[in-house]
Amino acid sequence: MKLWEHYHTPTTVDGALALLAQYAGQARVIAGGTDLLVDARAEGGFHPYPALVDITRIPELCAVEEDGDFITVGAGVTHTQIVKSSLLARYATCLVESCGVVGGPQVRNVGTLGGNVAHALPAGDGTTSLVALDAEADIVKDGQPRRVPVQEMFLGPGQSLVDSTRDLLLRFRFHRAADHEATAFKRIMRPQGVALPILGCAVWVRLDENRATFEAARISIAPVGPTPGRAGEVEQALIGQPAADETITRIAELAQSTLHPRTSKYRATADYRREMIGVLVRRTLALAVKRAQTGDIVPEGVGA
Amino acid sequence: MKEEITVSAKKTIVLGQTVQRIDAVGKVTGETPYPGDINLDGQLWMKLRFSDRAHARVLAVDTSRAEALPGVVGVFTARDVPQNEYGLVIKDQPVLIGPGSNSQVADADVARCYADCIAVVVAETEATAAEAARLIEVTYEDLPAVFDPLEAMQADAPQIHANRPGNILCHYKIRKGDMAAGWALADVVVEGEYHTGYQEHAYLQPEAGLGYMDEQGRVTVIVAGQWVHEDQEQICHALNLPEDQVRVIYPAIGGAFGGREDMSVQIVLALAAWKLRRPVKILWSREESILYHHKRHPTVIRAKWGATKDGKIVAAEATVIGDAGPYNYTSTKVMGNANLCVTGPYEIPNIRVDTYAVHTNNLLTGAFRGFGGPQGAFAAEGQMNKLAQALGMDPVEIRVRNVLREGSLLSVGTPLPPGVSIGQVVEQCAEQSYWKRNGDGWQRPPTPQPTDPAIRRGIGFAAGFKNVGFSFGFPEQSWATIELHGDAEIEEVVVRHAGAEVGQGAHTVMAQMAAEATGVSLSKVRLISHDTAETLTSGSASASRMTFMAGNAIRGAAALALERWKNEERPAVATHQYRPPKTTPYDPETGRSEPNFAYGYVAQAVEVEVDVETGHIRLARVVCADDVGRAVNPQLVQGQIEGAVVQAQGYAIMENLVTEEGRILNPYLSTYLIPTVLDVPDEVKSVILEYADPIGPWGARGMGEMPYLPLAGAIAAAVFDATGIWIDGIPLTPDRVVAALRDHGIGVF
Ligand SMILES: Cc1cc2nc3c(=O)[nH]c(=O)nc-3n(C[C@H](O)[C@H](O)[C@H](O)COP(=O)(O)OP(=O)(O)OC[C@H]3O[C@@H](n4cnc5c(N)ncnc54)[C@H](O)[C@@H]3O)c2cc1C
Repeated sequence: MKLWEHYHTPTTVDGALALLAQYAGQARVIAGGTDLLVDARAEGGFHPYPALVDITRIPELCAVEEDGDFITVGAGVTHTQIVKSSLLARYATCLVESCGVVGGPQVRNVGTLGGNVAHALPAGDGTTSLVALDAEADIVKDGQPRRVPVQEMFLGPGQSLVDSTRDLLLRFRFHRAADHEATAFKRIMRPQGVALPILGCAVWVRLDENRATFEAARISIAPVGPTPGRAGEVEQALIGQPAADETITRIAELAQSTLHPRTSKYRATADYRREMIGVLVRRTLALAVKRAQTGDIVPEGVGA
Repeated sequence: MKEEITVSAKKTIVLGQTVQRIDAVGKVTGETPYPGDINLDGQLWMKLRFSDRAHARVLAVDTSRAEALPGVVGVFTARDVPQNEYGLVIKDQPVLIGPGSNSQVADADVARCYADCIAVVVAETEATAAEAARLIEVTYEDLPAVFDPLEAMQADAPQIHANRPGNILCHYKIRKGDMAAGWALADVVVEGEYHTGYQEHAYLQPEAGLGYMDEQGRVTVIVAGQWVHEDQEQICHALNLPEDQVRVIYPAIGGAFGGREDMSVQIVLALAAWKLRRPVKILWSREESILYHHKRHPTVIRAKWGATKDGKIVAAEATVIGDAGPYNYTSTKVMGNANLCVTGPYEIPNIRVDTYAVHTNNLLTGAFRGFGGPQGAFAAEGQMNKLAQALGMDPVEIRVRNVLREGSLLSVGTPLPPGVSIGQVVEQCAEQSYWKRNGDGWQRPPTPQPTDPAIRRGIGFAAGFKNVGFSFGFPEQSWATIELHGDAEIEEVVVRHAGAEVGQGAHTVMAQMAAEATGVSLSKVRLISHDTAETLTSGSASASRMTFMAGNAIRGAAALALERWKNEERPAVATHQYRPPKTTPYDPETGRSEPNFAYGYVAQAVEVEVDVETGHIRLARVVCADDVGRAVNPQLVQGQIEGAVVQAQGYAIMENLVTEEGRILNPYLSTYLIPTVLDVPDEVKSVILEYADPIGPWGARGMGEMPYLPLAGAIAAAVFDATGIWIDGIPLTPDRVVAALRDHGIGVF
């Protein structure tokens, strides 16, 4: 089965852009290929790509770096790299937890965070955490470098702001969690390594100096809408509330009654998803709060 | 020398030993070819065009655009099939659906499900064949369709076969004792309506094969199946050719589980090779495999059982309705076995069972490990566990008080064949898992609970029995030939036996049994198999029968060959046909019969953890006790137990094939979830028991299916132990579990 005609491995961003320009919309960016090649195979190999441009040999796209209060993660960074990063484990715990449950080891070894976002599924696990981290994405769009909030990357299910036949996603950038801040990610899914979640949830919280009251929160639950998004009403309701079990329970109930997930015929019914929103928000929020209060952070549920 | 052979044949040499599988190295290194790996010079590629409707008359099939496509070599439709029907039990399905064919099937131009095939396209490349298959224009006249077996039984339902009124393919009755008298004795009565779902075989190797004319001009098909001679018979019938002009060869087979018992690509490959006189290859994708081969029968089972205060079951009543899809396949046999298993391995004086196989325009349904037994057992064990609860009695204790013993009468009014061990099996399983016997009988301490209140742990128990060999009057047989080569001593033993090595280890076990029977070391045995041109019929690799049947055939042939060896024949060659004791079909009114000639017995204890908030069930541990009669190769027995447990785990908890009006919505392993290594239990403890079957080879019973049977019932009982809620439907998906728990206010924070 033939899936492509030519395979290119540029080592610079400019080189990659030049190749894409040269093929004028006929080439396609590839990172780990764990989404792209599955889709290509499903086509039966009858329409191979004229060219694939592999971005994983470009050093600047494959690095996790600190930049003052910010952390940047290259689009070509694999899930395994993320899971192994002690920097991210400490300061972007939810990202480690979400990338740690993607697929199985083989998928995590080659699949990238950039691919997860560029594929633009409503419930990509890495994506869900980037939304809660309020990340920005550096992209090159129509030949121009741009910085956009990660949420603006999604135009619809499977539709990304970057046109992967012409544009490039370079890296993500977000604040590292400060003192009194913490994140967590959990999902509802058998931990069996083959499939997308029934529901995923990432939470970022900031407590006050006494670690007793919510100052701010970001909550991302997916899939709820056609694109990844945040539960704004729920986040607002947390502000100024005591960081205690009663609040968490109430907030979980609020999430359950205000969010309206849909049925997907072979993954889960809407009823089940609605029920799980409550469970998941409660569990994830409780974990993030505990981390913010104790400063004790050990990523959970990360696959071997 | 000769003396030595007789002596060594008495004690076992390789029988009962874990010897390495004879096919292990080739399979692990990838050297062994499976059907998809084989290519022939000048081969063409085949694609099939299936129905686009669940129920419609095919008015016309226009192949002109497909034929005009460059690279297309042949397009075949119903008119091209000499005798257009096939089927293992009843030939009631056209090979190709369309007008104007020569078929015994009334309305052979009617597509009755999406898996009905309409045309065969052969081209120089696979891509061209696929493109051409799309270019075929089919004109349909839609017919009213029915997708629910209960609706299909209604008087005004659309009829799927003119000659099967009410869409009822078969109705089995069991009438034993006096129901009114039975109910009068009952102190407690429990009822349940059990629902079981489809299951996909999900074997490693999707369907593939080649058709070609061999050097002797025979239409030859290389394919993976379960019985070469049955495939040959089906091809002969459809092509109207005598047996000696059709040859079927199996290379390595990538799993079967009953899913290769019926025809997939066999007949169409033969047809194309025969018409074109060129090699033709087909290779299904996983999606095609899931879409176009049959599934396990979904069932609805209503059951009502009564028992006395001291736990003696006095009456059992059940109605079993199985969705047979639009054709017979093996439905009449599968539902026959469900009919027998639905009252469990228990002695019950008064029984009334009605079992129906009902046609719908849903998926094809047929053979799958356990063959109706798992469905029956799910209901029977559910009833047993509910009775135990209603009586405040331990689930092991109630079973011990009711199990069939030597001489007890089955539901069908006759005793089981000698060698009934279910009582011992139940007790061994209990003792090797969580139970102890004291003065009051069998007891189990309460289940210790985890600290996280959302996680509840539970333990459940279930038992079962599974027939070995074909049932209900089928003329069972298996042939083997043994050739002893050498001069002063036997240098080589050639075994000819057709039996399919579907991954279960049959060929290793056959070689072990041949070595044992002739008194040579395993390295001297050479097996010739999987080829109709080289062997006589073996019967199918199904019904847990291969070790039992092949063993007896090999043993018989070996005894004869050794006698000829003694008489100085060189080589000494002997052929033997093994025929087990006769069985009889169900009496149409009472069900009275001698259904089977041998059985295996099984019991399981399982431990689960239920997340009552999310509905996820983790199967933590399984203890499975199996009476295998004689473990010819203990490691292979263990492999069958572990494999069956995991496959049944998928059936019980995870595998949810979603259909909408007869169409599968999730024909992918990313959405139809089967257990992976991350789902399997932490421990499957195999308790291998060896109570000899008096007529089994070296005492062996068949055992490939029985560890599958009790699991779903045991898990449902464990979920009850954990949560206090009975859930009578499988698969126990999180959706279903949460809905049931919330109905009782469980898991709400
Ligand atoms: C078995 C299996 C299990 C999986 N399980 C999960 C799971 O649990 N959770 C989950 O979220 N996902 C899962 N996935 C999906 C997939 O692995 C992830 O989405 C992964 O992150 C995709 O990254 P990739 O590098 O492989 O992307 P690719 O397949 O290489 O690319 C995906 C898309 O993004 C485009 N693209 C990639 N990089 C760039 C770039 N730098 N600039 C522009 N466009 C780009 C490509 O052109 C393509 O359209 C699973 C996949 C498989 C096969």
